[in-house]
Amino acid sequence: MSAAGPAVRVEELVKSFGALRALDGASLQVGTGEIYGLLGPNGAGKTTLIRALVGLVAADRGTIEVLGRRLPDHAVLAEIGYMPQSAALYADLTVEENVEFFAAIHDQGGAAARPRVTEALELVDLLARRRSVVATLSGGMRQRVSLACALVHRPRLLLLDEPTVGVDPQLRAELWQRFTEMSAQGVTLIVSSHVMDEAERCQRLGLLRFGRLLAEGTAAELRRLAGVERLEDAFLALSEPSR
Amino acid sequence: MSLRRTAAVARRILQQFRHDPRTLGLLFVAPLIILGLFYFLIRGGSGVPAVDVVNLDGGPVGAVLASQLQASTQIEVTVTSPARAESDLANDRTAAYIVLPADLTASATSGGVVAAQVHLEGTQPGLTEPVLAALDQSEATLLGSLGAENSAHLPTIRPSLAYLHGGPGLDTLDYFGGAFIGLVVFFLVFVVTIIAFLRERSQGTLERLMASPLRRADIVAGYMAGFMVVAAVQAVEVALFTLYALHVHNQGNVALVVLVTLLLALVAVNLGIFLSMFATTEFQAVQFIPLAIVPQVLLSGIVFPVSTEPGWLQGLSNVLPLTYGVDGLRDVMLKGLGLGSSSVLLDLGVVAAFAVALVLAATATLRQRAS
Repeated sequence: MSAAGPAVRVEELVKSFGALRALDGASLQVGTGEIYGLLGPNGAGKTTLIRALVGLVAADRGTIEVLGRRLPDHAVLAEIGYMPQSAALYADLTVEENVEFFAAIHDQGGAAARPRVTEALELVDLLARRRSVVATLSGGMRQRVSLACALVHRPRLLLLDEPTVGVDPQLRAELWQRFTEMSAQGVTLIVSSHVMDEAERCQRLGLLRFGRLLAEGTAAELRRLAGVERLEDAFLALSEPSR
Repeated sequence: MSLRRTAAVARRILQQFRHDPRTLGLLFVAPLIILGLFYFLIRGGSGVPAVDVVNLDGGPVGAVLASQLQASTQIEVTVTSPARAESDLANDRTAAYIVLPADLTASATSGGVVAAQVHLEGTQPGLTEPVLAALDQSEATLLGSLGAENSAHLPTIRPSLAYLHGGPGLDTLDYFGGAFIGLVVFFLVFVVTIIAFLRERSQGTLERLMASPLRRADIVAGYMAGFMVVAAVQAVEVALFTLYALHVHNQGNVALVVLVTLLLALVAVNLGIFLSMFATTEFQAVQFIPLAIVPQVLLSGIVFPVSTEPGWLQGLSNVLPLTYGVDGLRDVMLKGLGLGSSSVLLDLGVVAAFAVALVLAATATLRQRAS
């Protein structure tokens, strides 16, 4: 964890939806500038945890601190970039119009936002398709537009819920290169993923199951903990219900 | 065609209905509500047009005609003075007043012309018709009784009609045109808004907005402003088309017609946003049309005058925004009233208050529904 102190601190978070306990006392800390991977099977609580970090889910118990502010805190949302699991976009607008809109609602509209919009579109390799209507794009391209929308305002904390689903391997590698650069510039990233080679790129990983953090550490630490060679095997071994 | 495959499709449709009890409920309950409303409006109306009768005739014919009018089931008659009758009509307390002239008995018994003067409020044909029908029936009964007494000198019955507003030169569209302007804009803006806001939620962008620095009020106000730009253009277009292409009668200020229409559009936008909170699919959103729009169309006085509704339905009519919008448009277009009229101010104020209340309701429920 970075010496700059935690960008995110979650303590004993509990959230139930009816009889379903989505988060059951989850606790974690993510350092400033760190890339933290959230791993876990479907229904483990990854998405609920990410949504709680942007105030979309109100916890039943526990505390959340983001960028030094205890939630709920509306002001902190200006410094967070959130990319939900499904590409939540305006399908009838163009790629550029979508990104411009998300810049504008972060108070970065007009001509001043142009370079940022261009930069975000370059990052996701969609500058050439900026005038395309989103409805005409493939699923992978929409994911990339969604990512551009999440980072156009240059957030200090980027929450990415399975950001590279449908993205081809080459662009995925390029995106991770940019994530690493952003991390070096002090941006904190929390990424949920099922893709193991992506998990390998995270500086630390947290394995969630049944709404609890079962294990935490670098990829190498998790492999060692499970006593296996591959991260995928570690994931399977550590996710065993019997553990 | 395969019967088995067709049956599979039909079975799947029924399974979907089974999983959507709300749609089923609507399919079976909404028709009963709508038909029930028609029943109460057409047959259940205890209210009939209030009519004053001024009997200036000292003789027996005036007394007989007045009592026959009082006995009519189509109107509710009060015998009163000329000044009171005029005041009641001007203040919308009555639909008409009938003056039985001083020479009525003399004319009737000598076989002359019986000329009852009918002063009609005139803005709602639905109120005018029963008045004229009741007078016609009463006069026919009178003729019958006079004929039995003296068949040689039967009088000629020729009522004279005077209109406070409107007049014989107006056709049905002139009477309904104003209400239709409000209804068309209200309905279309509501449908477009409820679908658009629901799409915001179903495509996941609302959640994204809620995770941004936008506040709930920003979202509702932004929606309102965006839709009002389109609604304003639509309101002007509809008003101008109605007035200048369809030549619907307008005695008032065109700008005021547009203002009332715009306020109705504002209510429709916020009603759409508010109700979209209670729908999870576009299918469910469309279901709000028979529940939120059709009763308003029936109860707002567009076709059935509010004053003739049963008392309990009048109470319901009086808490519907469209009632005040329609009344305002009729006040302006048929009565030529302006901002100096307390009735127009009341209509504008109530519609505006509905808009504000719905903005607050939509804002309050936004957060809750988003999570």
